[in-house]
Order: sequence, then C-alpha cells, then structure tokens
Amino acid sequence: MGNEQAANGKPPDPTDAFRDMRDTYLDAWAKAMVETVNSEAYARTSGTVLDTYLSASSPFREAVEKAMLRVLEQLSMPSRADFIALADRVNNIEMRLDDMDAKLDRIESYTKPAMESKPKPRSRQSNRQSKRKTRGAR
Amino acid sequence: MEDATVVTDPFTDLVGKLTAFNKALTTRTAIAQTPKELVWTLNKAKLYRYIPVVAKAQRHPVPLLMVFALMNRPYILDLRPGHSFVEFMLNRGYDLYLLDWGAPGPEDKNLKFDDYTLEYMPRAIRKLKSIAGVEEFSMLGWCIGAILATIYAALRPDDGLRNLILLTAPLDFSNKEALTFARWTDERYFNVDQVLAAFGNMPGEMIDYGAKALKPVENYIINYLKLWDNIENPQVIEAWQAMNTWVTDNIPLAGGVFRQLVVDLYRNDRLMRGEMMIRGERVDLSRLRANLLTVIAEGDHITPPCQSKAILSKVSSKDKELFSVPGGHIGIMAGSGANKRTWPKIDDWLGRRSR
Repeated sequence: MGNEQAANGKPPDPTDAFRDMRDTYLDAWAKAMVETVNSEAYARTSGTVLDTYLSASSPFREAVEKAMLRVLEQLSMPSRADFIALADRVNNIEMRLDDMDAKLDRIESYTKPAMESKPKPRSRQSNRQSKRKTRGAR
Repeated sequence: MEDATVVTDPFTDLVGKLTAFNKALTTRTAIAQTPKELVWTLNKAKLYRYIPVVAKAQRHPVPLLMVFALMNRPYILDLRPGHSFVEFMLNRGYDLYLLDWGAPGPEDKNLKFDDYTLEYMPRAIRKLKSIAGVEEFSMLGWCIGAILATIYAALRPDDGLRNLILLTAPLDFSNKEALTFARWTDERYFNVDQVLAAFGNMPGEMIDYGAKALKPVENYIINYLKLWDNIENPQVIEAWQAMNTWVTDNIPLAGGVFRQLVVDLYRNDRLMRGEMMIRGERVDLSRLRANLLTVIAEGDHITPPCQSKAILSKVSSKDKELFSVPGGHIGIMAGSGANKRTWPKIDDWLGRRSR
C-alpha cells in the first residue's frame, strides 16, 4: 500500500479508508431506503400525513381567502378570480389570432403559386415603349 | 514556524473547500446558451427555432420538434455549451425546434392532455411547418413529453409526422409492482381531488420531492458528498452546478393533467388498454404509423424500462426500434456519457430517416 502510493508520488491519505467505509455504509443505507419508500407502509404513512395537513389547513386557508377577498373588495382591487377571468379572455383572443394566422398562411400558400406564375408587371417606361411600338405598327 | 504551518494548513484547506462548496451550491450557472428565436406563442407555451449552424443545402430537410415534460424546464436539452444535445444536433445539420410549455398559472389549472395535444401541439406544428416550408417533420418527446407526443401521433396520424423518438416514455402502467409512483398515488392513500382543491396546480416543490424521494439517500446526501469529494475539480463543479440549476428550477404541473396522470394512467393504465379518451376521441395506438425509436434508460427509477417497451407491439409503424442505454432518467441525455451513446444513436437513426 505504502509502496504503491510512493510509486504514485502521492502521500498516503488517512481519510481514504474513512471514505471507503462511508461509501459502503451509504450504499447499504440507500438500498434500504429505496425498499422503504417502495413499501405499502410508506405509501400509507405519506398519504396520511398529506391528508392530515390538507384537512387541518383547509379551514384556515379558506378563512384567509375569504378575508383577503373582502380586503381586496374594500380597496377596489381585483382578486385572483378576476385575474383568472381576464387571463381566460386573453387566451381566447390569442387562440383567435392564431386561427387568423393559420388562415393567412393558407391564403398565402394558395396565392403564392399564382403570383409566381403571373408575368411580372412591366415598368412604366417599358409600357410606354411598347405602346409607341404598337402605335408605330399601326 | 514550520510546525505552525503544518497545523494551520488543513484548516486553511477546509475553509477554502467550504467556500468553494458554498459557492457551488448558491451559484446559478449560465445554461441554455444556444441562440434561438421565438417563432410562436400561445398562453405560456412558446415555440423556439434554434439558429441553424449548417448551410441549408447540407441540412436535413425534415425539421425536428422537441417536446419536453410539462413539469420541468426544457433547457436540460441545451444544458451548457460543449455539453448540449441541441448544439450537437445543430452541428449535425438538423433544423431544430423546441416547444417550451412554460409554467402554468392558477388560470391554467384545468388544462388537460386534451388541451396540450389537440389545441397547443397542432398549432405549434402548423407554425413549424409553415416556417420550415415542409409538410413532414420529426418529433422527439421526453418523459411526459413522450406521452404528449404519443397521444398526438395516434390522434393525428396524417399530420405529417414522419419520425417519432420517445425518450424514457412512461406509457405502460400495467406493472404496478415496479412503479413506486403508482403505489404512492393509489386511491387508498392519495386523494387527488383534495390535493388539487388545495393547490389548483400540482406544486413544483411537491413534484420535486416525489422524484427525489424515490432515491432519498442518493438525492439528499450522496449528491452533495460527490460535490464535496470533487470540490477541487472545476469540470465536475461546472457540470454539477448546471445540473443543480436545472433540478432546482421547478414548475407546477397543470391540475387537469395531474389528475389524468394519476387517474387515467397510474391507476387505470388507460392509454395502453386503448381506453384513453381525448376530447371524445379514443386514443388508438394502432393508428400511430410514424417511424418509431424508443429509448429506454436501464437504470431509470422514475420511468422503469417496463413502461416504455409495450408501445412497440401496439403501434402500426413498420420501422420501429428499441434502444437501451445504461444510465438514469436524465443521465442518458444530460450525463457525461450522453454525447458518446444516446446522442450519436439518435442522430444516426434520425439522419437516415430525414432525407
């Protein structure tokens, strides 16, 4: 061991043995915990804890919500429900805009080939020249 | 004097290590650095197009749309420069799009799979096709993003989806023994309606706790010990910080989706049994015809491999493949070995089907 480390040029680290021991212990603990959390007992316990918390906090939460609503009304301030209703309306507008965007894309896709196949409009000068030529021909 | 140094050096080292450790824990790294442009938005959802780095003539003509899970930020796909799936695929000549769902607010508590797959995805895909000027596209769905991609592909098989890549896709919920989440959300122990009545959306912190509690010692202790052991290695610290930035950036899951996830999928396995209804339409997986690559992570504790295999026997795709990679749920795409195993495989499979 000592020779190996001397060959590596590293001084012996007294914490290496501790680290190996720590890792072995943690691996064993990790496996045991995975089994624990995967058990029916854990599912039941965590469910009970959550249920208790939600049941206990529910009346308090409702009271705070009601009080807050009254305060906001007194201050003529919009409530969460008002904002949610507003957000719904904005969403609907966004949807309609997206529908319009889709329709415009469709119209563009129909008109593009027609526009490409149509001869390019001539400039005024070339129009005049062609008119002169026509007159001359007459 | 020398003796004094011998005594004080270990303390100086320890203080230095503690300072570095504290800095690593509290610093948020710059992530998602690949340039992109916003091309479409709807509510909180955003469609980004990454700026191509390969000339159009050399690019694959079929664009790739990436759909990530609803309850995590999608920048895990573009974690940090030099270690980014997005960067890798851009360099391989793909026209890359990312659908970022954003964080649902209280007004989105009723959003369901129905809304995401039949309202948001078709609109984003229409925009993608319009910008790319193509009729066909490829889609990559990861985790819950893979559920969305699968439902969409089965409901809209004629929408131009040529290639579908599913990463760690939780689709089959029949093996209850293998699914810890199924045990936790069993109706005997977990009242989903009570939870959603209290919170509206499923809070990101609770989802994060659920994911971490599957392996509590690894996530709450070993993760930090690994950082401590490598505190003098800047490369390890950089990678750890980037991952920690992503892991701690939690977003809630829309209440409607959470209810469907628990009731329709974890409890009743409705998708695989062909009983899942989306806006009155039955999700029939046999209607899925796109070329299919399913990537599973052998050490995945969030989506065990058994959840992603059965899809292959249900779809009508003639070209389908299962690719198994050693690693965990996130590690196969964002771990140190991802650029040697998963990314080249995806590029190889997709490249041959994107011509």
